[in-house]
Amino acid sequence: MIRVRRALSGPAGAILLVLVLMSLAMIAAGTSPVEGFSALLYGALGGRNQIGETLVATSALLFPALGIALAFRGGLFNIGAEGQLLIGALFAGGVGAQLHVPGPIGIVLLLCLGAIGGGLWGAIAGWMKAQFGANEIIATLMLNFVAAYLALDLVSGPLKGPLAAGAETAWLDPTYWLPTLLPHTRLSIGLLVAIAIAFVLHWVFTRTVFGYDLRAAGEAPEAARRSGVNIARLTWLSLAISGAISGVGGATIVTGELHRFNTQLSPGYGFIGIAVALVGDLQPLWICVAAFGFGILEAGGLAMQASAQVPKDAIHVIEGIIILVLAARRYVAARGVGDIE
Amino acid sequence: MELIATLVLLTLIKGTPLIYAALGGVISERSGVINIGLEGMMAMGAFTAVIVSFATHSPLLGLACGVIAGALVGLLLAIAATRFKVDQIVAGTGINIICAGGAAYGLVLLFNQPGASVQVAALGANYWILIVLAFVLAIAMQVVLYATPWGLRVRACGENPKAVAAAGLDPLLLRVYAVTISGALAGLGGAFLSIGELNLYSDGMTAGRGFIALAAVIFGRWNPLGATVAAVVFGFFEALQYVLQGRIPWLPSDALQALPYIAALIALAGITGRVRPPASDGVPY
Repeated sequence: MIRVRRALSGPAGAILLVLVLMSLAMIAAGTSPVEGFSALLYGALGGRNQIGETLVATSALLFPALGIALAFRGGLFNIGAEGQLLIGALFAGGVGAQLHVPGPIGIVLLLCLGAIGGGLWGAIAGWMKAQFGANEIIATLMLNFVAAYLALDLVSGPLKGPLAAGAETAWLDPTYWLPTLLPHTRLSIGLLVAIAIAFVLHWVFTRTVFGYDLRAAGEAPEAARRSGVNIARLTWLSLAISGAISGVGGATIVTGELHRFNTQLSPGYGFIGIAVALVGDLQPLWICVAAFGFGILEAGGLAMQASAQVPKDAIHVIEGIIILVLAARRYVAARGVGDIE
Repeated sequence: MELIATLVLLTLIKGTPLIYAALGGVISERSGVINIGLEGMMAMGAFTAVIVSFATHSPLLGLACGVIAGALVGLLLAIAATRFKVDQIVAGTGINIICAGGAAYGLVLLFNQPGASVQVAALGANYWILIVLAFVLAIAMQVVLYATPWGLRVRACGENPKAVAAAGLDPLLLRVYAVTISGALAGLGGAFLSIGELNLYSDGMTAGRGFIALAAVIFGRWNPLGATVAAVVFGFFEALQYVLQGRIPWLPSDALQALPYIAALIALAGITGRVRPPASDGVPY
């Protein structure tokens, strides 16, 4: 019995919980779990196109998850990845639609613009925290809304494409499209960029002074401050880098998949990224694995909705439950078991 | 003149759900639990009020069930925060995603349409009672927190739960009560949005009000009356946004919608640093 309980408190328990809840969501929608799961799995992994879509979602989730992990490691709750991603995408899409430079330079430029846009958005919250002590949770959340309205305003007005029907920019010139990674799918090399960032972050976290200071500031801020870490600088810098990573993600969605900026381009990647980061235990390489798992849920969820009539929102409920369940484990990991009675 | 009257009325209407949520934030944080899940609790209250009103044609029953739904979500956070000692910020974020997703899922199952519910029986002209009630509850909470033994115990939980335990009381149980009440208040605020101000639920209708309420809690220095004033101020900016809409040609309409959020950001930067949260706010016991 104890062995069973121990097994259930680990990843196996989490997966079992997800399976049970998904089954319930399917039964409630009038679909048998067998039909629902086969629709989900086929939709996520059933062929080249499906795998392509799963990896597109993986890539889109990986950027914000990595950014969030960096901030969380520093003890900063960046809940604003959604807005940072959107502003990064807006910078890339807004400039990309009117760009006239050679293709490869343009692509690099647009990805950098994504980083600048997202980084700027993260830095605002970081600066507010460092300068005025403003709570970064609320600041990053508020900035999500400001980003959404700013983007909506710009692409329904000055940045609106001449032929666009909705709130979106003109199409990017095909020379600025990210090369396709998997032929005949929408998957671009954006995924490789994300994985490269994951490896860089792994190195930063484990091998650099910045990574060490970040962890120190997150786990023992007072000790870090007394040992000479400039907490104010670290605060805005880590929120800026965190936002920049999400911003590059937004830029890869624009240059890699949509080829234009659209206000609807993220169905909440910045929030689901929190779940991905937590499942990956804030470790960049595990986050890559977690992002693939969530990519399956995202892409499969859409297919499940289309072919088995189970609303895809059920997936989001389950992702929320995963966050809630993992909130317990994170606490133990971050502050040491000794602190808990 | 007419414009000012409209602005005042709209400020009260827009401020009311913020007051409820902010009061919920105050009592939760006073007990030592940061309630990032206010947004989700509002959404659950709004959604439940609509489906119950749809099923029973009784908006009053809908209102009651909205409050209960908010309280249940509050209880979920309370148990997570006390029994399981979770990281409250992360748990609250999870709750927000669960509630938004759950309501969206429920909309498709019940109404066969994504995005919004059908129109249901609403409180109609009686909604003003809820506006008055918001202020009454604010005064009541001020009295309860500062002039009753129970209020003292709740505040002590937020400052020093060990002292509460040493006095022979159960701080965890007090936190469970406080966070459940917090959820009920947020649920009431959400129900006001869906069947008070309007007569339907639509995805994303809470639009960050739970987070603005958290800013109001800080701006109001974790004090019921202070948070209420702050909520009214943020309600004013939301009202101003509506009133200015279309009146100033050079100001684009979508940018104006960001006004309440920018106001909250500026307030946050202006006030914090000079205010102090309860000492054990957000620290599991």
